[in-house]
Amino acid sequence: MSGNIAIELGPARFRNPVFLASGPAGYGTEYEELIDLERIGGVVTKTITLEPRAGNPGRRLWETQGGLLNSVGLENVGAERFFKDKLPALEDKGIGVIVSLAAEGWDDYEGLLGAADDSSAAAVEINLSCPNVERGGMAVGTDPELVARYVELARKRLPDRAIIAKLTPNVTDIVSLARSAEKAGADAVTAINTVLGMDLEGEDSRPVFRRVSAGLSGPAILPVALDAVWRITRSVDLPVFGVGGISSVDDAIKFFAAGAFAIQIGTAVFYDHTLPERIVEAFEQRGLPARN
Amino acid sequence: MIDPGKGHFQAVVSRRESLSPSCVLLSIERPRDFPEARPGHFVSIRVAHSIEPLLRRPYSIMDLTGSELVLLVKVIGKGSALLAGREPGDELDIIGPLGGTVFPEPEGGEAVMVAGGTGLAPVLFAARAWRNANLHLVYGASCAEEILESIVREGFASTHFATLDGSLGYHGDAVSLCAELVNGGKVGGSYLYSCGPKGMVSALEAGLGKRFTEHYTSLETIMACGVGACRGCTVPTRGEKSPAYRSICADGTVFRAREIAWEDWNDR
Ligand SMILES: Cc1cc2nc3c(=O)[nH]c(=O)nc-3n(C[C@H](O)[C@H](O)[C@H](O)COP(=O)(O)OP(=O)(O)OC[C@H]3O[C@@H](n4cnc5c(N)ncnc54)[C@H](O)[C@@H]3O)c2cc1C
Ligand SMILES: Cc1cc2nc3c(=O)[nH]c(=O)nc-3n(C[C@H](O)[C@H](O)[C@H](O)COP(=O)(O)O)c2cc1C
Ligand code: FES
Repeated sequence: MSGNIAIELGPARFRNPVFLASGPAGYGTEYEELIDLERIGGVVTKTITLEPRAGNPGRRLWETQGGLLNSVGLENVGAERFFKDKLPALEDKGIGVIVSLAAEGWDDYEGLLGAADDSSAAAVEINLSCPNVERGGMAVGTDPELVARYVELARKRLPDRAIIAKLTPNVTDIVSLARSAEKAGADAVTAINTVLGMDLEGEDSRPVFRRVSAGLSGPAILPVALDAVWRITRSVDLPVFGVGGISSVDDAIKFFAAGAFAIQIGTAVFYDHTLPERIVEAFEQRGLPARN
Repeated sequence: MIDPGKGHFQAVVSRRESLSPSCVLLSIERPRDFPEARPGHFVSIRVAHSIEPLLRRPYSIMDLTGSELVLLVKVIGKGSALLAGREPGDELDIIGPLGGTVFPEPEGGEAVMVAGGTGLAPVLFAARAWRNANLHLVYGASCAEEILESIVREGFASTHFATLDGSLGYHGDAVSLCAELVNGGKVGGSYLYSCGPKGMVSALEAGLGKRFTEHYTSLETIMACGVGACRGCTVPTRGEKSPAYRSICADGTVFRAREIAWEDWNDR
């Protein structure tokens, strides 16, 4: 044992810096029988919106070389059910939680922050980066000024919670988004959400998804995520949650070397759900990897 | 919801039998502690310890005895080809049993079961589990070679085959054959069960659903997590709120066919 690898972010304290990413991990409990959620830093829960969302029609998943395209479209149970049923189910068991929120417009956002304020959530990740919806999500998250406005309001409404802004890589300069988040008072940023991508199928080469573009995740995007973490941590003085393509202990080490404060694992959990615990074990033995 | 409790297992292939040009029967030593499973449950297998293919592949449990877990594998792409190529002694990385619903036993003991292609797997599991039931199997495939006759001999009161090219049994699809048999009074029962391509099951429901007290179907689609977390494997269902998506991996695999909004279930 190389001792304590706990981390703190504002008022939130986590056992270690290894999290399940928002989306793939659902509301956490789905994986309970397969992953010891009390061993890892915690779960970033599936992004919720104020009202429940049915999600996108048609196909939602498509595998590519070393990657996965998804067009789930933020299907979720809505804030009321989430805060009443899903969050307590995790907190009662002592599982670390970061609650992911997405606005579907400004009024909506006020309501959502109100619901978060009434809850026990210690840390909130604002998803400013979902590519699979029309309103909110990436539509907001590609504009540094809007990122600042959304983070500012979260800061104001949730003064004593940790505020994390989740950024999209689908911009020319992700560093400017991180700068906006920092100026607006975020405690941390998460980089990255999925990368826009598409595929074609059949003899007539039709797009596989109804919305054509979808979000690419998995090993294929690791270099994009690593680059984002490296550049952000060299320009902005905020802790960064690194996420994108992590599928081995060595990948995890790279993210810390690039400057990450913590990591999140998404797609790899689908095919190797033991990975998060293996990373924790490695870090407990050797200590957290050093920053380059 | 019937959740047997799921686990993660390294299991050894004990037997591999080629059944047709495209299908292989894989018998796997049942890992100690592998929970009981019922017809409609499935397992999800990591077919390669690399990132190609990336995701696990889902397979219906075709049989589960005290010593064996049996799967029916049709080669349709890279993942299934890797799995079908596994030899006795090879290890498989499996999670399961997965699925929240299963085929309920037929009321009155008599029922019709319609299988298309590898949709045969959960149907055979049911036939083996309900030994006292009177089950009529209607089974369709592309051609005689793809009718896996050697594995459907036991457990049915009657068996009826359909091939699209007419090379064995009825010339046409399983749904048309089933309609003929039901209308001619040759097969019947309280429940209808099905598993097969989406088009087969929706045509079956449209044509014959009302002739049975219940039509239960085990559905398939592309999956990622297999445990209800990612919301990637959803099917639109009829309900107060429309669309209401349910996950095939955790809310299924078995649904009442009339609950599915077939007209809205499209790839695009
Ligand atoms: C619950 C469940 C039970 C299943 N049981 C069986 C079984 O008992 N025996 C069996 O042989 N197969 C079964 N399948 C299907 C099997 O999982 C797929 O054939 C396999 O994953 C294909 O992998 P691949 O890498 O060979 O094909 P890929 O190379 O990934 O795909 C080839 C083509 O098939 C399409 N495809 C892949 N998976 C599916 C799917 N599930 N539904 C529709 N289209 C698909 C792809 O989009 C692509 O166009 C089941 C699927 C599910 C969800
Ligand atoms: C099926 C799926 C659903 C996702 N849903 C969300 C979501 O609801 N909110 C969010 O912030 N990110 C979501 N993501 C993005 C992941 O959190 C993560 O940023 C991305 O997948 C890259 O990490 P990975 O390569 O480890 O998966 C989703 C990803 C996948 C594959
Ligand atoms: S495959 Fe993830 S919800 Fe079904």
